[in-house]
Amino acid sequence: MWKSPKSLLLAAAVATVSIGAAQAQDIAAGEKVFAKCKACHMVGENAKNRVGPILNGIVGRAAGTVDGFKYSPAMAKAGADGLLWDEANLSGYLRDPKGFLKGNKMAFAGLKKDEEVVDVIAYLESFDADGKPATPAKQSQAPAGAAAAVTTADAAGPSRETTGSVTEAAGLKLGLGRTATPEEIAAWDTDVRPDGEGLPEGSGTVAHGMEIYDERCASCHGDFGEAIGRWPVLAGGQGTLQAERPEKTIGSYWPYLSTVFDYVHRAMPFGDARSLSNDDVYALTAYLLYLNDIVDDESFELSKENFTSIRLPNEDNFFDDDRDEEPFYADKSEPCMTDCKPGAPEITMHAAVLDVTPEDGGEENASGGGID
Amino acid sequence: MTTNAGASRRAILKGGLIGAAALAGGATASRAGASESLITEIQDWNRYPGDGVDARPYGKPSEFEAHVVRKNVPWLTSDAISSVNFTPLHELDGIITPSGLCFERHHAGIAEIEPANHRLMIHGLVERPLVFTMADLKRFPRENKVYFLECAANTGMEWRGAQLNGCQFTHGMIHCLMYTGVRLKHLLDEAGVKTEGKWLLAEGADASGMTRSIPLDKALDDCMVAFGMNGEALRPEQGYPIRLVVPGWEGNMWVKWLRRLEIGDQPWQHREETSKYTDLMANGKARRFTFEMDVKSVITNPSPQAPILHGRGPLVLSGLAWSGKGRISRVDVSMDGGRNWTTARLDGPSLPKALHRFYHEFDWDGSDLFLQSRAIDEHGFVQPTKDQLRSVRGANSIYHNNGIQTWHVNSDGVIENVEVS
Ligand code: HEC
Ligand code: HEC
Repeated sequence: MWKSPKSLLLAAAVATVSIGAAQAQDIAAGEKVFAKCKACHMVGENAKNRVGPILNGIVGRAAGTVDGFKYSPAMAKAGADGLLWDEANLSGYLRDPKGFLKGNKMAFAGLKKDEEVVDVIAYLESFDADGKPATPAKQSQAPAGAAAAVTTADAAGPSRETTGSVTEAAGLKLGLGRTATPEEIAAWDTDVRPDGEGLPEGSGTVAHGMEIYDERCASCHGDFGEAIGRWPVLAGGQGTLQAERPEKTIGSYWPYLSTVFDYVHRAMPFGDARSLSNDDVYALTAYLLYLNDIVDDESFELSKENFTSIRLPNEDNFFDDDRDEEPFYADKSEPCMTDCKPGAPEITMHAAVLDVTPEDGGEENASGGGID
Repeated sequence: MTTNAGASRRAILKGGLIGAAALAGGATASRAGASESLITEIQDWNRYPGDGVDARPYGKPSEFEAHVVRKNVPWLTSDAISSVNFTPLHELDGIITPSGLCFERHHAGIAEIEPANHRLMIHGLVERPLVFTMADLKRFPRENKVYFLECAANTGMEWRGAQLNGCQFTHGMIHCLMYTGVRLKHLLDEAGVKTEGKWLLAEGADASGMTRSIPLDKALDDCMVAFGMNGEALRPEQGYPIRLVVPGWEGNMWVKWLRRLEIGDQPWQHREETSKYTDLMANGKARRFTFEMDVKSVITNPSPQAPILHGRGPLVLSGLAWSGKGRISRVDVSMDGGRNWTTARLDGPSLPKALHRFYHEFDWDGSDLFLQSRAIDEHGFVQPTKDQLRSVRGANSIYHNNGIQTWHVNSDGVIENVEVS
């Protein structure tokens, strides 16, 4: 199972940590860890095969290839099939020898701590194939998998290899994690802001948006955004914000158009999120503007270029939290303890009157508004 | 099972109140000397052995507790996949919510993610964009903290007046757990936040792609990336393998299945901070960025789902209090709808931004009661009445209703959610 996701995960963690030149202290710590291996393995110029093979130059070489050592069929085959002892695979193996490669004969339970794995690899890495001290260049050579990360790190800013100074400058402490690649960031970073930051290239018309909407949105949100059943209403409601039953929609309530683009792109259609292309989302956003009477021309085309020129009508009606200034909070006096109100208490409203308690199966819609 | 238990529970609630008097009578009878067969006869459990240690590798509550479950209100939302259920507060005690009873609110169901397949990315205005595996996260220094999480819409149904009969439904969008995880600051330091960075966007890996903007100051203060709750891994419905912990702030910001943290210089104004989680005032304007949860309390026993079945005499009143600003310093209770107040007894640990348990023991004389509780936090903020809130905000806010709750107890011990003069 030397490709099990678990071992790869752990490997990735360990590999990135040791991309940089192994620190002297890691090597020293690794030497201590190696005490657990000594019963079976030797390193150094005079090393011989014992219960286990010589481990000189092990980091980076193919598995099962020490002359004169009798490997198990499993190990010999894995080596022939291309198993390479890069840091990733080594750490997977040392953590869980049995799980990593079924049928191999190393009777060792595995190292429990990630630090031990990292350190013992650093120690092994300090010996070249002849058991002589490895040159620093060799030591800092990144394994195949990590090389990609280092390259992209260069493109994205200072690489982790230059830790020393960067580290202190930015308060970096542990050197954990690996650099995110530009491609990875692009895959997840779809968010859009009111100032247009994050908008992708693309465009779409109201007319095209209507086609997509009818096919993929109308079944829940209704042909005109009026909603079927309790699915959210997307259009209408203008002028109801002070009414007893406000209807909060894109047209009546939402402050920013960027929110529509961002949200539809990340979460809709419900049940099949992230299935719309950028152009589809531009078209749907244009159509939602149309359904809300904010544009009235079916040939209107929304694009990255004209996006921020469109404002939603309710933008100015939002203000920042000022609850602490409300009279009952601003007044920090001791609350009343006795005779605080005149007369005996009189019930002004019963929950039972509304009878919406779930256990009574009240199906009629609540009069108190939804949960969100 | 659950349905049956629920049904019999309802039967007790409905029929039982007439029976309450009978029960009280029964107690008197036994004092007079009648013997109980429960004691005089040998019971099965006293004679035959039960299950062995291999029967319950992961233990569950007693079958007699089968009615203690989360419940939803089907008509509240369009679909159970984007919905909420409620913690049965009236069945619980202490300050820690059992993991399986923590209310759930998802926007696209429960994402099931194998930890090996989960990644956390930090990017944006940082020196180095980073990707962490779960194994990486577990190598940062950890901390254990007890915090409450309350949905901003908790008690939101009650803005227009008394609605739901039971604190499970009026106040059950809250839980309080011991979290284990890593200070968010450690992770951000690792990436190196640039000086222009002022806001953080947190994003979930589920099909709703939940996002919230969080001020950087808060992120660097006490936020955590948690992988543990109550000593074990997070439950899937609470964001396994990791969720954001934003102490004292509204639950929606505690992004579950957390996969991405982006640093920016302004808020993103996403759906959950514009269309939702903004508080509409009577004048048609709306408050935004109302992050902090206000000082609040509720009496959990007795309450509509937990009527007084034992008749008059000694009674334990109990409840919960909390504040997003810190500790609770005092809770007062009233029996007469807010005319007179007595200070209740706080019991158990008093931790900042955690639930506090209060008790008030008294002799019930069988008369009508209008029970209320009023919490005061360490900064002197006093829980307001619902009318005080409405006088400033109107009734369309949906969110942040921390008004004083009233339970009416009648002479049979039946309890109802009411509003009083
Ligand atoms: C009880 C004896 C024993 C112990 C202890 C032991 N090993 Fe091994 N090791 C073996 C044997 C036997 C093999 C050959 C496995 C096979 O052929 O299936 C092996 C194989 C290996 C290999 C693969 C070598 C190759 O050329 O393919 C590496 C790497 C390795 N061990 C490292 C370690 C390290 C590091 C430790 C200590 C942390 C350790 N082992 C502890 C017995 C042991
Ligand atoms: C299967 C039903 C369904 C379909 C189909 C669907 N939606 Fe939705 N939509 C929902 C639900 C449910 C929500 C609320 C989700 C939540 O609770 O977070 C929603 C929310 C929205 C919102 C935010 C509403 C608000 O007031 O905050 C917008 C905008 C939206 N959908 C647009 C679309 C578009 C555009 C499509 C077609 C590409 C679409 N939806 C397809 C069910 C659906």
